[in-house]
Amino acid sequence: MLSFHSITDSIDSWLNHTFSPTVALLLECTIVAIAAIALFATLGLVLVLMERKVAAFMQIRMGPNRVGPKGMFQSLADTIKLVMKEGLTPDGADKFLFNLAPFIVMIVAMLLLAPIGFASGFQIWDINIGVLYISAISSISVIGILMAGWASNNKYSLLGAMRSGAQIVSYELSAGLSILSIVVLSGSLQLSDIVGAQSNGWWIFKGHIPVIISFVIFIIAVTAETNRAPFDLAEAESELTAGFHTEYSGMKFALIFLAEYINIFIVCAIGATLFFGGWMPLHIGNWQSFNHIMDYIPSSLWFFGKTFFLIFVIMWFRWTFPRLRIDQLLQLEWKYLLPISMVNLLLVTVMAIMGWYF
Amino acid sequence: MFLKDYITDIYKGVKSLLIGMRRTGYYFTHHKEIITQQYPDNREELNLPTRFRGEVILLHDENNEHACTGCTACELACPNGTIKIITKFDVSPEGKKKKALDTFIYHLELCTMCNLCVVACPTDAIVMAQNFEHSVYDRSKLTKKLNKPGSKIREGIE
Amino acid sequence: MSASAIIFYLIAAFILTMGILSVTSRKIFRSAIWLLFSLVGIAAFYFWMDLTFIAAVQIIIYVGGIVVLIIFSIFLTQKAGEQMPKPLRSRTLFSLLAVFFGFALTFLLIYKNTFPEISSHPFQLNVSDIGTQMLSTTEHGYVLPFEVVSMLLLAALIGCIVIAIKKESK
Repeated sequence: MLSFHSITDSIDSWLNHTFSPTVALLLECTIVAIAAIALFATLGLVLVLMERKVAAFMQIRMGPNRVGPKGMFQSLADTIKLVMKEGLTPDGADKFLFNLAPFIVMIVAMLLLAPIGFASGFQIWDINIGVLYISAISSISVIGILMAGWASNNKYSLLGAMRSGAQIVSYELSAGLSILSIVVLSGSLQLSDIVGAQSNGWWIFKGHIPVIISFVIFIIAVTAETNRAPFDLAEAESELTAGFHTEYSGMKFALIFLAEYINIFIVCAIGATLFFGGWMPLHIGNWQSFNHIMDYIPSSLWFFGKTFFLIFVIMWFRWTFPRLRIDQLLQLEWKYLLPISMVNLLLVTVMAIMGWYF
Repeated sequence: MFLKDYITDIYKGVKSLLIGMRRTGYYFTHHKEIITQQYPDNREELNLPTRFRGEVILLHDENNEHACTGCTACELACPNGTIKIITKFDVSPEGKKKKALDTFIYHLELCTMCNLCVVACPTDAIVMAQNFEHSVYDRSKLTKKLNKPGSKIREGIE
Repeated sequence: MSASAIIFYLIAAFILTMGILSVTSRKIFRSAIWLLFSLVGIAAFYFWMDLTFIAAVQIIIYVGGIVVLIIFSIFLTQKAGEQMPKPLRSRTLFSLLAVFFGFALTFLLIYKNTFPEISSHPFQLNVSDIGTQMLSTTEHGYVLPFEVVSMLLLAALIGCIVIAIKKESK
C-alpha cells in the first residue's frame, strides 16, 4: 500500500545508497524545506479561499465565484496581485525592524511545523518534548507582532501590538494548561507517543467530561492566540484600521497574512493531534469489522480531515460572534478560563491516577 | 452563592453562543437561502424586490396622456431640489386660461430616491421605477425631461 | 573540524555579535530585540547539546516571558523611539574595565576547571523522570528549591493583586 511512510523510507534509502551520508542528509533537509514551503503555499491558497467561502455561506452570500470554476483561483489571483504590489516602508519607520518582522512571524510559523505528525510515520522532527516545544516556539510569535507594531511608527500599529501582546501572553496560560491535561493522561510530551496512546480511542471520547472541558478551553485559547475574531482586537478593522500590519503592503503583507493562516492550521493540527488522535482512525471498542473499514482510509486523510474540521469550527466562531472589548477579553481569561482549567487539570490528574478513563 | 452565580453565568454564556452558532450553521448548510443575484448574467430575469427604487418616472398611457396638473407639490416636497416644474397656461375652447405642465425636469444626479415626491403627488402622476442602470459618460445626460413630447394631461384630472 | 564544531562556532559568534549589538545600540527597542536574538542563540546552544527540555524552557521563560515584559515596559515609557545620547567617556572606560575583569575571571575559572569527558548521551530524559526529580526528597532532589520558588511566586502574585485591587470608595 502506498503511504507517506513508505515513500519517505524509499527516498531515504535511495539517497543513502547513492550519496554519502552527509550529502544525503543535506539533500533530505533541502527536500523537507521545499516540501514545507510548498505545503505553506498550498495551505495559504486553500485556507484563504475556504475562509471567504465559509464567510459567504454563513452570511447568505455566494462568495468569490468569478475566477476559475466556482471561484477556485480567486486566492491565486489575490496572491499575484500582492506580489506585483510595491512594498512600501513608511518614512519614520525603523526600517530594519520593519522589514525583519514579517520574516520573524513566518519563521516562527515554519518552526512550529516541525513536530506535527501528518500521517503514520510521517513527521519532520519527532522531538521528545513535542508539546513543550510547540508552546515555547509559539510564545516567540508575539515578538514578531510587537516588532511590526513598533517599527511601523504608527499609533494604530502600536496599539494593536500592545493589545495583541497582552492577549497572547494571557491566553497562553490556559492553552498550556489544557494541553497539560492531555500530557497528564498520555504521560509523555512526545507527539508520536500522544498519538500512540489514542490507538484504542481518541482522548475526547476516552477522557469524557474533563477532556471535553479542556478541549473547549483549548479551542477558545488558540482562537485568541491566533488573533482571530471574536478576539481580533489586535487588528480590529473598525477601530485600528488593521492593527499591527496597517503599514505593510505587497509581499511583506502577504507574508504576515500567510503566517496568520499557517498558525491557524498549526494550532488546529495540534488540537487534532491532542484531542482527536492525530492520524489515528476512528476506532470504537470491540467493533472489529467497523475498525477494519476505518483502517482502510489513509492516515493522512484522517489527519487533514480532523484539522480542517477544527479550522472550520474556528471560522464558524469568527463569522458568528461579535468582537469582545479588551476588558471583557481579559476578564474571560483571568476570571473564567484560567480558574476552570486549573480545577479541570486537577480533575484530570485524579482521573489519570485512579484510571477513571476508558 | 458566589459559585452558583458563577456557574449560571457560564451556562448562560455557552447557551447563547451555541444559539448564535446554530443560526450561522443553518445558513451554511442551506444554500437556497442565498439572496445574492448574479447580476450581469441574469439581466433578463432580474428579480428586484417591489420596494426597490431606481428613478422617478411620469406615467403615460397609450394616448400619450399623463396625470400631472403642474401643481409643483413634488417640487416643494423634494428635499434637495431634484425636480423643477415649468408650467404654461392652456387656453380652453371656452377661452378660459388653465395652468398646465410644460416641462417636468428631473435631475437624477441629485435624487436620493427618498420617495417624498411620489407621496406628495395629489394625482398619482409620478411613481418610482426600478431601472438602476443609470451610468453615462456625461453628467448633463442625467438631467431628464420626464413628460414625453406632445403629451398632454388626461381628461378629467384637476 | 567536524560539522558539529562548525555549528558550535557559528552559534557562539551569533550570540556574541547579538550581545555586543544589544549593548552598543543607541535605540532602546533595538537593544531589546538584539537581547532577544542572543537569548534565542543560547536556546540554540541547548538544542545543539540535545538538551531539548532546557532549550524549550529557556525560550519560554526568557524569550516569551522576560523579553516580552521588557518590550512592554519600553512601549510604556516616553521618548522610547528616540536615539539615546552618547555615553560619557569615563563610563565607557569603566564598563570596558568591568567587562575585561569579568572575562578574565570566567576564563580563569574555565581554564582551571577540568571537565569530565562524557561519551554517551546521558541527557535523554523523559518527562516523568524530570517530574520525579523535581519533587523527590532524596539527595539530588529539587523539592526544596521547587517549594521555595513556588512560595516566592505565590507571594508575588498576592502582592500584585494587593497593588492592583480597587479600593471601595466610602
